[in-house]
Amino acid sequence: MSSVLQLKNVHKAFAGVPALSGIDATLADNAYISLLGPSGSGKTTLLRVIAGFEQPDGGEILFAGKRVDSVPPHERGIGFVFQNFALFPHLSVAQNIAFGLENRVVDPVTDPKVVAARVRDIISLVGLSGLEDRATTQISGGQKQRVALARTLVTEPSMVLLDEPLGALDANLRMRMRSELRTIRERCGVTFLHVTGSETEALAMGDTVLVLDRGRIAQSTDAGSLYSRPASADVARFLNCYNIFSGTVEGEGFHSPVGMLALGGSRQASGTPAYAIRYDRVSIRPQDAAAAGDEVRIEGSFVASEYSGAAINSFFTLDDGRVFEVETHLSHVAPTAYEERGRYALVWKREDALVFV
Amino acid sequence: MNASGIKVSLGLYTALFIIFLYGPLAVLAILSFQTGPEGGPQFPIIEWSTYWYKHLFGLTPPSRIAPLPIEQALVRSLGLAVMTMIVSTVLGVTAAQAFRKKFRGSGVVFYLIVLGMMVPGVLVGLGMALVANALGIDRHWWGTAFVLHVVYTFPFAFLVMLAIFNRFDPSVEEASWSLGVTPARTFRKITFPLIFPGVLSAMLFAFTLSYDEFSRTLFASGRDLTLPLAIYGTFSVEVHPNVFAFGVLTTLFSFALLGTYAVLMALSVRRAKRMAIQEEA
Repeated sequence: MSSVLQLKNVHKAFAGVPALSGIDATLADNAYISLLGPSGSGKTTLLRVIAGFEQPDGGEILFAGKRVDSVPPHERGIGFVFQNFALFPHLSVAQNIAFGLENRVVDPVTDPKVVAARVRDIISLVGLSGLEDRATTQISGGQKQRVALARTLVTEPSMVLLDEPLGALDANLRMRMRSELRTIRERCGVTFLHVTGSETEALAMGDTVLVLDRGRIAQSTDAGSLYSRPASADVARFLNCYNIFSGTVEGEGFHSPVGMLALGGSRQASGTPAYAIRYDRVSIRPQDAAAAGDEVRIEGSFVASEYSGAAINSFFTLDDGRVFEVETHLSHVAPTAYEERGRYALVWKREDALVFV
Repeated sequence: MNASGIKVSLGLYTALFIIFLYGPLAVLAILSFQTGPEGGPQFPIIEWSTYWYKHLFGLTPPSRIAPLPIEQALVRSLGLAVMTMIVSTVLGVTAAQAFRKKFRGSGVVFYLIVLGMMVPGVLVGLGMALVANALGIDRHWWGTAFVLHVVYTFPFAFLVMLAIFNRFDPSVEEASWSLGVTPARTFRKITFPLIFPGVLSAMLFAFTLSYDEFSRTLFASGRDLTLPLAIYGTFSVEVHPNVFAFGVLTTLFSFALLGTYAVLMALSVRRAKRMAIQEEA
């Protein structure tokens, strides 16, 4: 698969505070790439640097094989969809979409018939038919989102940057737009780089997921591998599905604040030693139940549980005061009622744990 | 104080405000209908007539009262106000646009611009006269006075536009760039239509401030008088109600200007409204 965008050691600081500290990445052509990062990780800055709204302090940006770091945004041919949509409020839906075609400096479309035809095509592609003459203030959030997308796609960019495109939508619509965005992208055959702070969104949307942490790409892989094999404790923390212990590896055990955890399975080098176990790999047993030979067992007091339909998440306090989360999928077991402040054994298989050294 | 007490005092305040705002104008308007040519600029009204309005336009038989020497002054003042309006608004918009990005020395430049409306007008006018004399420049309403009018009204236009840009969402411009549209075309097609109501306000400010500017113009305009100077000049001889008649007419003209402004404003928001109606239909 060929690459559409390459970033080499891209740096950017604001008033001496680094926002991007050496980004290296290669983005595949015709792919859906999500960029996951907590707030303050520099993900919006990275997007703005790629679009040309911000100048990088150093490094190289290659788009379609050419260096673009000093090219102004209007000559880059990279589309941008804003979180607030940034529709032109004085233009109608159709005029918003036609704007780029009619006014761009490279190859503007001057024939009103051609413009109208292309606008009509893209409007039906994104599902906005019948709203052509509405003002942008007269459409809903999801429709605004589609206008913003259509306005960009109609100019046929090779790449579209989406800055938290679903952030301004309500939860229901967000779920629907997820699959729509993917379908639209597949039909257009362009690369989408979708920035989000939501791990579920990043995993659901991306063919590839880039994880940005403190101005660096912490991991770049497909959603499945990211979920099951995060590259570091920090990445595991963003995924929001791991209980993480800090500590040190001593022989065949991990010395954590809640005691020695027996090691099995693989270890990965990541700089900071940590021990991570996925929420859904843990089983809850009565306190007196013994662990099998290949299992790790700790104890905690039950605090509360949260029912989310297909799964139930139970929260325990461990002896050092930290909260430990267990996710039980209800398709396998009926929900069990636990006694508040009761002690339970929390058990998992040694090989299910991720050990970072 | 109880609620009704507050209501009464607020009502009283509002009434006083309106009296002081419109009282002088009302007196002026009433006295402009004094009979002529023997009636003077004081109460009581001897007889109601439109004599002084006719006098203003030279429609009365000749009398000892000379017609107001304002015809040319009016043209000059209007010309000066239009010139000032155009230049100040252009400067105000471009300067405010420049201030959207922090640049080195922006603080100093800001105060330099705003100084133009702070310094006492008479002193600036006098200063301009001295500078013009020293440099051997002739003083004219379209020269030295025009420059002072721009210096005076530009800060107002600038501050209006600064406030407008403060609330302006720059991401629409970035969106336009990312569609391949040059910054210049983006400004014309996106930014300008969106800031247009602000530009109208800036124009209105510049026009009205220039139109009745007195103190700066006094020393800087040279031989040919502008309207405020011409009217003031007539006071030094003898005041006749024709000045009041003229005052009423200029006030009506100002209202017409405000009306135009309101219509233009309404037009720029009408589109959205029309679409709102379509939506409900």
